[in-house]
Amino acid sequence: MRSGEPIFIAHRLLDEQILDSEGRRCGRVDDIELRGTPPRITALLVGVALYPRRLPRRLRGLARRLAGPERWGANAMRVPWEEVDEVDTAVHLRGKAEELGLGNGDHPENWMVKRLPWN
Amino acid sequence: MRAIFKIALGIIAALGGFLDIGDLVFNTQAGALFRYDLLWAVVLGTAGIAVYAEMCGRVAAVTQRPVFDVIRMRLGFGMGLVGLIASTLVNLLTVAAELGGLAIILELLFDATFSMFVVVAAIGLVVVVALLPFGGIERLFGYCGLMMLVFIATALHQGPDWGEVAHGFVPSFSGSTLYLYFVVGVFAAALMPYEVHFYSSGAIEEGWTESSLRENRLNAIVGYSLGGILACALVVSGFLFHPVGVDPSDLGTVALPAQGAFGETGLLLALGGMMFCIGGAAVDSSFSASYNLAQFLGWEWGRYRGPRKAPRFTASWLVFLFLAMLIVLSGINPVEITEYSVVFSVVALPLTYLPILMIAGDRSFMGKHANGRVSTLLGWAYFALIVVLAVAAVPLLLATNGGGG
Amino acid sequence: MRVERRWRWVPAAASIAALSICATGCGDLSRAELSRGVESLSALAAQGGLIANGVARDATKSTYSRVMAKTLGDEAEHEAEKLADATPSPEVTRERDAAVQIAGEIAQLFSELRTFPGDERHGVLVQRHMREAKERADAVVTRLTGEAP
Repeated sequence: MRSGEPIFIAHRLLDEQILDSEGRRCGRVDDIELRGTPPRITALLVGVALYPRRLPRRLRGLARRLAGPERWGANAMRVPWEEVDEVDTAVHLRGKAEELGLGNGDHPENWMVKRLPWN
Repeated sequence: MRAIFKIALGIIAALGGFLDIGDLVFNTQAGALFRYDLLWAVVLGTAGIAVYAEMCGRVAAVTQRPVFDVIRMRLGFGMGLVGLIASTLVNLLTVAAELGGLAIILELLFDATFSMFVVVAAIGLVVVVALLPFGGIERLFGYCGLMMLVFIATALHQGPDWGEVAHGFVPSFSGSTLYLYFVVGVFAAALMPYEVHFYSSGAIEEGWTESSLRENRLNAIVGYSLGGILACALVVSGFLFHPVGVDPSDLGTVALPAQGAFGETGLLLALGGMMFCIGGAAVDSSFSASYNLAQFLGWEWGRYRGPRKAPRFTASWLVFLFLAMLIVLSGINPVEITEYSVVFSVVALPLTYLPILMIAGDRSFMGKHANGRVSTLLGWAYFALIVVLAVAAVPLLLATNGGGG
Repeated sequence: MRVERRWRWVPAAASIAALSICATGCGDLSRAELSRGVESLSALAAQGGLIANGVARDATKSTYSRVMAKTLGDEAEHEAEKLADATPSPEVTRERDAAVQIAGEIAQLFSELRTFPGDERHGVLVQRHMREAKERADAVVTRLTGEAP
């Protein structure tokens, strides 16, 4: 990859919808992990805990209080770049959402989802 | 042949579902206060929603991106969140207004307490949405909304001076602040963003692809233009009240000309039509609130997924409906809520319009379906107009004391 | 701080101006406000006439007539109370009293429509009385503004 590309791709990837191998919507790209020189995308980061980073400094404190601390595996998920199959109008993953810990809020086993009246 | 039939049905549903409580209130009042002088504003607003909806439908069909997907992608998380919060608040007000309007109509038809009808209306909407698929919901409200055609018959029956009516299509500026407020109001009532956001997500619910582009164009342009005729008929029938100085801010009063012209049948068609228009709008605006939230955050969404596959989307819809119900039950007059929802939605409009305009014209996203010269010109002209109205809206609201004069 | 000589008359002039403005009707019911109130009464009577007409021809739904009569009747009563509670400026007292009376009559007519929303005979009577009330209201407006409404 040319030196300009990873940044451009990262910019293009940010905030995109993520779809798993079955076409299920399981979150958006809330942040991107770049490592090394030249920087390479190593992972996509997804989760509510990442929102405070995306807000202007003044609102960060309040947002952090609302979103809670970053608990990796719970409210912040790391999706290794290798899991990405294709990027067109959304980011398509190789595997299923639950294998990667994504889309938990819509998962039928989720404690809140189980309590909904139609379940 | 089947394709033409399908497109025709889509246009009919768009026509029947075009009006909501905002149009009913603002257009009839416009006719009562200013005779035919605001017809040009109705046309301008109608053309505006046709332009905006066509773009949103095209973007959704080609890129499979509904409005708030585009907004998050184009504006990023921070500004996108501002747009989301603004849209959600406005949508909540709108749902409350429509729910209140439904309760008023039910009260006029069945005469029991208003509060009870608010709850009945909310439950009724939940039942309809639960029982019918997406297309069925749209067709039910769209076809039954065709009862509103009685307003065209009423307008013709009143035998207006067609010369004067024609004159109303030419923009004029009476200069009074109240007139300017109604210019904004009539335009904004025609160009309600929730309707376009719903249309965009609806394109994906219905599985539109590049091959659906002609259907999109006809639905948006022909369907909404015909709806504009209905909106004009409201203005003309509102004029019945002009010489006597009646202020038709009462929903029941809106139906009075139809009763005068066609008796009980006219009255029932008018009230029935209003009920389905407003009911459809309640579904559209509440769905719009849930669509926007779910799309922005990346949740699974859509009536086509069902409550099991899209639990958060479904739950948020019920919550929005419930909150709207509380707002109406708090005792604020639904017609007042309507005025606020219309005025504030035009204030929030530029933020949700601009990203769509930019994507619709971007060849890297749209390929050969990007905006042509006409669409680009119209799109940007309307953006400029929307910004002017958005800036003027709240000052005019305050200056006219909420349209009270 | 010394105020320049030529500005010393300003506070005095301002107080005189303020006092005279108040004397002409600060908080009183002015001619314009009263005329607006009576115009709204005229509009209520017009609507009442249309509704009563529907009842008279048996060309309407009784629930609609009853609910409309209730809503509009409440408005007429509210207007009556508003006008009765306000202090009119002296030159419009007579008109104000006439307006209160008309408002009360309109409210009473709506109350009758509420009680008999399906009765055609009542519809005919209410329609006629509503028209008379509207004519009287319009006459008051003409007296107040010097022009026909």
